[in-house]
Amino acid sequence: MKAFSASGSAKGMNIKMVKNKNILNTDYLIIGNSAAGLSAAENIRKNDKNSPITVLTKEKYSNYSKPLTTYYLAGRLEPGNLYFKKSNFYEENNIDLKTNQNVVSIKSSDNLAITEQGNQYLYNKLLIASGGRPIIPEIRVIDKTGKTLSLDEAMSSVKGIFTLTTLDDAIMIRKYINEYSIKTASILGGGLIGLKAAEALLGLHLNINIVELSDKLLSASFDETASGILIEAIKKSGSSIYCGQTIEEIYTENNSINSFKLSNGRKIPSDLLILAVGVLPDTGYLKNSGIKTDAGIITDSRMKTSIDNIYAAGDIVKSHDVLSGSDKNMAIWPIAVKQGEVAGSNMSGIDTAYPGGFLMNSVEILGMPMISLGQSSIEYDDKNKDLKVYKSHDTDRKIYRKIVVRQNRAVGAILIGAIERAGIYWGLINNNVDVSEIGENIVKEDFGLIQLPADYRKHLVVGEGIEV
Amino acid sequence: MKKIFIDEQYCIGCRLCEIYCQVKHSKSKKILKAFREDQPGTLARVLVEEIGSNSFAIQCRHCEDAPCTGACISGAMAKNENTGVVICDEEKCVGCWSCIMVCPYGVIKRDIKSKKVASKCDLCFDEEEPVCVKNCPNEALKIKEI
Repeated sequence: MKAFSASGSAKGMNIKMVKNKNILNTDYLIIGNSAAGLSAAENIRKNDKNSPITVLTKEKYSNYSKPLTTYYLAGRLEPGNLYFKKSNFYEENNIDLKTNQNVVSIKSSDNLAITEQGNQYLYNKLLIASGGRPIIPEIRVIDKTGKTLSLDEAMSSVKGIFTLTTLDDAIMIRKYINEYSIKTASILGGGLIGLKAAEALLGLHLNINIVELSDKLLSASFDETASGILIEAIKKSGSSIYCGQTIEEIYTENNSINSFKLSNGRKIPSDLLILAVGVLPDTGYLKNSGIKTDAGIITDSRMKTSIDNIYAAGDIVKSHDVLSGSDKNMAIWPIAVKQGEVAGSNMSGIDTAYPGGFLMNSVEILGMPMISLGQSSIEYDDKNKDLKVYKSHDTDRKIYRKIVVRQNRAVGAILIGAIERAGIYWGLINNNVDVSEIGENIVKEDFGLIQLPADYRKHLVVGEGIEV
Repeated sequence: MKKIFIDEQYCIGCRLCEIYCQVKHSKSKKILKAFREDQPGTLARVLVEEIGSNSFAIQCRHCEDAPCTGACISGAMAKNENTGVVICDEEKCVGCWSCIMVCPYGVIKRDIKSKKVASKCDLCFDEEEPVCVKNCPNEALKIKEI
């Protein structure tokens, strides 16, 4: 399709320069070179073979998978192997990738995106898929003379404090560990990034402290039992875990971190601190763009923002959670890919709706595979009287399985140790299948398609396109 | 593309499909070695489900809109646009099991015998016919062009 074109003749050319050398003209401009941005670009190219597509990234790298950065930190992958789209992806799809382009503002009335590097990109359609930014909590950073900085200020001046969301972060952390022969590292945040970082640093033979505000690890998706299994494994590995605690003050010496104080007053020596409290949609640069945000970009079901030719996808979006019915930030890879696909289709003229999604995670920590799906942490209680919660816990084999059913529909699952066939639960949740006739078989290790309601099984096993 | 069709009513639960699949994907390609000697061993990529007299074999459906490819964080799991076959590049796979998390058929396995990778049906792309189909004694598995 031919997008409405400001230059009128950009079709078929990669980049057309107009007016002056700093204005670059493109049909489809995509801010963000990760899961959402590239799945959108790929989908646009499927539907529109010729119009120029330009992808901007503020980083210096071609694509790499952010979830793989902890694999680099652990020494399991080299930076050159973190890509999730092959290096010929851009050439094959005729996509113009511009690295080192940090967009600082969008003039939606003029269809312009302006970068810190002094370039202006004139677009017909824009996709914002620039992701999230790490949360920097409010912690006082105090040096030996008593001089106090905010943690935000200290991030650029004090050595040894890092966030971990980009490859550059991971490279800096590894460099710092080698350069200063670091022996003890601490991680603030017992969520997914925190735990993956902890595992990576354990592999480098460091002593690890994990500080977590909640009384559980992976508190967003794990219940007490699941968290307990994880805590036991991590403690066994030699790490210390401080749950129900946060860091109140960080102490520095010679402009480097040397210890911190927990909320219970305990002082812990540490010469490296990773902040893994979470990420938030990074919408700061959209302030004067006219794009509606509310803790994330607001989109319609077509992933279109409040401005007609601007779309958004991925971690920067406030997404529809099909299980709670509300909108919230759900910064996970599969949602970013799906939203990117939907945005890309709509931008290139194929009307497609994003049905919404739900949170899920799969991770293997210390040799234990763990999967959580949907509303997995909830229990039957006064607030949740409409729940049936099935659990099985084999303490010897360290296998834990929990399936949460609400009004005959599966809404959540935790699987630790035995994760095979977890996707069947994903399918049940996703397809809103009535599971009442399965009963407690739903939680068993040998649960399979054969126990599913006949209609749904037929749909799966001998469904459309499969039937003989 | 070609797809394997499952006919529940003809499946006798003999599990020959599993055996032939495992041998086919083994190092030695020989039945006794595949089960007894090969190091690392391998897994069958088709599985038989059975309750009482009811049984069927199931393997990757090579979905049109495959959830596993969208969940893969390493780019290992991908659908070949020309053949339609969903293949896991075992060199690229990091064993995060995101594909297992979203496969509604539950047909991706965690292969920890070799190097912790996701193991799944490759539709025997280098054979004339998938070995599970070829060796099914009661035509409970068929392959058809669709």
